[in-house]
Amino acid sequence: MSEIKKIIKGCLAGSRRDQELLYRRHSAKLYAVCLQYSGNDEEARDILQEGFIKIFENLHHYKHEGSFEGWMRRITVNTALEKFRTRHSLYRVDDIDTIQEPDAEPDNQDYAGLEANDLLEIIRELPTKYRMVFNLYAIEGYSHKEIGEMINISEGTSKSNLSRARVILQRRVGSYTGIKKKVANG
Amino acid sequence: MDEKGANIDLLFRNGLKDFEVLPPPGLWDGIHSAIKMKTRPIIYLRAAAAVTVLLTMSLLAYRWSREMSLGPAGSVIAFNVPASSPVIYKPIDNTQYLPEKKYNTDNNSSNVLVETENQVAINEEIETIASPEQILNVPESKSLYLTKNELINGLELKPLNSPKGNPIAIQYPDLQYPPVNTVAKPVKRWSIEALASPTYYSTFTSGNDQLTSQLTSTEDPLFSYSGGVSFSYKISKRFSIQSGIYYSSLGQRIDGIYSFSGFQKYNESKGSPSFKVPTTSGTVYTSNPDVFLAAYGNGKVYTTYTNDVFDPNKASLQYISNSLTQNLSYLELPVIVRYKVIDKMIGINIIGGLSYNLLVSNSAYAMKDGTKYSVGDTKGLNPLALSSSLGMGMEYNLSDKLSLNLEPTFRYYLDPFSITTGSLIHPYSFGIFSGVSYKF
Repeated sequence: MSEIKKIIKGCLAGSRRDQELLYRRHSAKLYAVCLQYSGNDEEARDILQEGFIKIFENLHHYKHEGSFEGWMRRITVNTALEKFRTRHSLYRVDDIDTIQEPDAEPDNQDYAGLEANDLLEIIRELPTKYRMVFNLYAIEGYSHKEIGEMINISEGTSKSNLSRARVILQRRVGSYTGIKKKVANG
Repeated sequence: MDEKGANIDLLFRNGLKDFEVLPPPGLWDGIHSAIKMKTRPIIYLRAAAAVTVLLTMSLLAYRWSREMSLGPAGSVIAFNVPASSPVIYKPIDNTQYLPEKKYNTDNNSSNVLVETENQVAINEEIETIASPEQILNVPESKSLYLTKNELINGLELKPLNSPKGNPIAIQYPDLQYPPVNTVAKPVKRWSIEALASPTYYSTFTSGNDQLTSQLTSTEDPLFSYSGGVSFSYKISKRFSIQSGIYYSSLGQRIDGIYSFSGFQKYNESKGSPSFKVPTTSGTVYTSNPDVFLAAYGNGKVYTTYTNDVFDPNKASLQYISNSLTQNLSYLELPVIVRYKVIDKMIGINIIGGLSYNLLVSNSAYAMKDGTKYSVGDTKGLNPLALSSSLGMGMEYNLSDKLSLNLEPTFRYYLDPFSITTGSLIHPYSFGIFSGVSYKF
């Protein structure tokens, strides 16, 4: 039996040791996902906490088919989406379209020197809906149709949000790399 | 734009792949508290399921023992009585069968009433019309063939299942069998029983005291056990009263309390406890001056050796453990009433009663590699706690004196172990006791 299977078995038997082991092993990676989907640290903590509670509650549904890490990641992303839906249920779905569009298309960029921390910071600066659509499309690989159903927007809105998110990201990436180069050159 | 978009997508996808950020400390404690609270109802559901299974098993056992007791349709019974003395019909004990016997039909010096399994005769239907003491006078020197219903001394005899031409014979052969012993066996009213069980121990908490919630989240019940000897006296056919003495050892682990040894040279407490650890079962006071305690997460330690007074990182302390174990031992004096629901080869009892629990020892220690480091003990405990118990006993009779017992028992402590916190905390335990009992 693989180690992860043993840990899962222990968790299902209620072993606190195994539960903590599972948390210690995977929390860092999942917390990075939470940060990616949230605008602030407090929200990320909430998502991680709720996500892990769901993971433990639904562990008996995991059939050891496919990646366990992927299964946990999906639960975490779904938790983030639930939070997003709760917070945005009072607003009209296409409100995001009123956000000011970037002035111009950015030029080709040299992305060298950007670290994961920088990328995370950039992505978290996106408006919430842009961030959601970009994460779901570019990182998780969902289609616009699926994204529309997930966050209750039309397919067209999803495409439009993605396009605007990309423009903002390119602009921000450009300014980050510029700053980094300046810092590097003294 | 699409190409640029794809590039930026790739940049983020690859850049954030396998990226890790350590979550803030203490988050695990919140998660653990939540899953602990949510898993408790599952424990209750499991207990309910176990009770359901036991009840089902009991019902099946009852039906099985009932079917066993009914036995074959007919019985072979022979009553030999001296000549001219009456034949006494007794209710047929369905579990007793005597062998079929050939009789000398010429001899008419005695009265014998014969029943065979095939020829039959007097079975339950006769029992219903014949009282145990009813006397049947059978005329001497007479063979009686029952081919139809006959009335003798007001007792109706029926030729049940008797094939035509093979009637029941009531004859008078020689005395060949001793008379049926009609003296009732003495009832065994006393029994001694030895039982033991591993027990699951936990607490019911009422009130929303924040400290209690915090403490509960750090406590995990440990393997506990209980066992002892009891006497019971049968006061009626179904009721018996039981008492005895049991020893129970209960324990729990308190997480988030780090312990270190080597503190004695820094300890200036001069005998008074340096550390106090609140728990739902009283407050643990350190008595070992060599132990240093520190709290982590939801764990709580009260001390005068705060970080500004003493920095454990700068002292040469040896780490022992990240949890404390609290152990309480009780002597239990129960008064239990048993009601026998089923009294067959497999008997079922309902058990209920009250017990006084005398605190006989309590300790707190830290464990390292199987070695116990004494830390102190728990103060504020009630020296005497009243508990109630409810259970179901299954009894398999190996003989009329010896039986095996299995008794799932739920025990609820009416008195909390301690009243040091703001909430009401009532411990409870569940154990499946097993053992033997001897009747005399």
